[in-house]
Amino acid sequence: MEEGRAERRRRTEAPSCTQGGARRAGIMTDVHRRFLQLLMTHGVLEERGVRRLQKHCYRVHGRTTAVEELEDFINNINSVLESLYIEIKKGATEDDGRPVYALVNLATTPVSKMASDFAENELDLFRKALELIIDSETGFASSTNILNLVDQLKGKKMRKKEAEQVLQKFVQNKWLIEKEGEFTLHSRAILEMEQYIRETYPDAVKTCNICHSLLIQGQSCETCGIRMHLPCVAKYFQSAPEPRCPHCNDYWPHEIPEVFNPDKEREAGTSKANKKPSRSRQH
Amino acid sequence: MLQKPESGALPIPQAEGQDGGRDGETQALTASQEEAPSPLLQESSREDLGAGREEGAAEPALTPKGARTLAAKALARRRAYRRLDRAVAELVQFLLVKDKKKSPITRSEMVKYVIGDLKDLFPEIIARAAEHLRYVFGFELKQLGRKHHTYILINKLKPLEEEEEEDLGGDDPRLGLLIMILGLIYMKGNSARETQVWEMLRRLGMRPSKYHFLFGYPKRLILEDFVQQRYLNYRQVPHTNPPECEFSWGPRSNLEISKMKVLGFVAKLHKKEPHHWPVQYREALADEADRARAKARAEASMRARARANQRAGIHPW
Repeated sequence: MEEGRAERRRRTEAPSCTQGGARRAGIMTDVHRRFLQLLMTHGVLEERGVRRLQKHCYRVHGRTTAVEELEDFINNINSVLESLYIEIKKGATEDDGRPVYALVNLATTPVSKMASDFAENELDLFRKALELIIDSETGFASSTNILNLVDQLKGKKMRKKEAEQVLQKFVQNKWLIEKEGEFTLHSRAILEMEQYIRETYPDAVKTCNICHSLLIQGQSCETCGIRMHLPCVAKYFQSAPEPRCPHCNDYWPHEIPEVFNPDKEREAGTSKANKKPSRSRQH
Repeated sequence: MLQKPESGALPIPQAEGQDGGRDGETQALTASQEEAPSPLLQESSREDLGAGREEGAAEPALTPKGARTLAAKALARRRAYRRLDRAVAELVQFLLVKDKKKSPITRSEMVKYVIGDLKDLFPEIIARAAEHLRYVFGFELKQLGRKHHTYILINKLKPLEEEEEEDLGGDDPRLGLLIMILGLIYMKGNSARETQVWEMLRRLGMRPSKYHFLFGYPKRLILEDFVQQRYLNYRQVPHTNPPECEFSWGPRSNLEISKMKVLGFVAKLHKKEPHHWPVQYREALADEADRARAKARAEASMRARARANQRAGIHPW
């Protein structure tokens, strides 16, 4: 009798490919595999590029299949990735709220993806820059301050000139963004390292009052000190005649940015080129 | 620690099929061409669900003590499997990251950075990792030669037609250059002197140590990168004075492209048909036949193993 019950339980519980989960995992086809491969190559990709990528994969591997809605497509893949402790994570650029996607590790040490591309002293330089960025008020660390730490790096001795080039390498590989001689985290780094940053710098880390995610750049209330991402500010105060702090209700003293609109982008043609350099030194 | 005799030990799909016609250089770790995930991937979740219930084993008496022991054993088993799953996941990521640079990955690197003290379970861990790589990403993990414990990833997705190819930049011109060199090597009877290669490139306007806007320093690309990535073999020709060196196809080239494809490329370049070169054409045909045989053998052994699993009572679901 016991055996029978066990048998029945096994049959009803078991059609899952994930570990111990009752949810049925999706099925991978070459469409999904190609998508994953190409997404990995890019590191991080804006939503527009992701949609193009998805269509491209269907064109190559699945002409006869209907193109799945992007969100479902990604959830499907994520259910398969779950057992590998990775996922396609969606985030937004901190300065203008563009949705971006990256394939991130959920389990391993944070800088592991960088570990293959950079030497020990280079990784340490990144860690130093990361610390300065997190500790800063604006979310930016100046080139000078970073380079001054060059003597404290682990590994082979690095000269300042070399360090400048390494910082450029970080920018090229989409780990850092540079604006007027100052560095902040690329959305790729934020997506990939959020967990690590929260665990490693629990006191220094800042979070957004609206979305509760990690915050590097944003606006803050001058009275009570809460912070918000620029795109979160845009969405929250979208149709508010008089913006007030959600926490202390004091008048919100900063310029309210516009909500990111992908369609407006397309109309404008060359989007980025015409935009004013948006700098959020509004603390 | 992880033997499960009652529910059947985890089969490790090492494909032992020899590549008869080829020089036995490479071995596929997984040869399944099916879409569905193999029984391997199901094993751990099944065990988790069935933890504490051994198939056909005698039930320990359900006294409080017996129940506690049972629960403790089940917990230990779940922990062990979780640890194993984590190691597999980390190995998959490690392989993906290392392969991005196209340099072969050694077993000792894997043990050092990922496996650690689970070293005894290396065969199982790498087999599972290989299965994930195949099913989830479409990569095949190949061992380079039976003696060496070095591995590379091969893309199993169908190669893109020219118009389908998304411009990713970076890689493509280099691989075009590589194919030209592979073509030269093949047409010269599977090995070409270094001087011949440079002569060909000189005609294309390239000099070994002159920076090229697409390829960087050709000498570094060809003598260092391509060799290190196992696309080319580079060795000194014995009994030459002054000493000369020659190139031949590296093991990765044999895996990623075929003689027939390279011959096709050369033919197109000369605006002729492949059979314009009867010797090379025959050799390429023979190579195609060998590949087809090896593939069929690998598939057969995979099917046989799946059947054996079924008989042993290991079901995918």
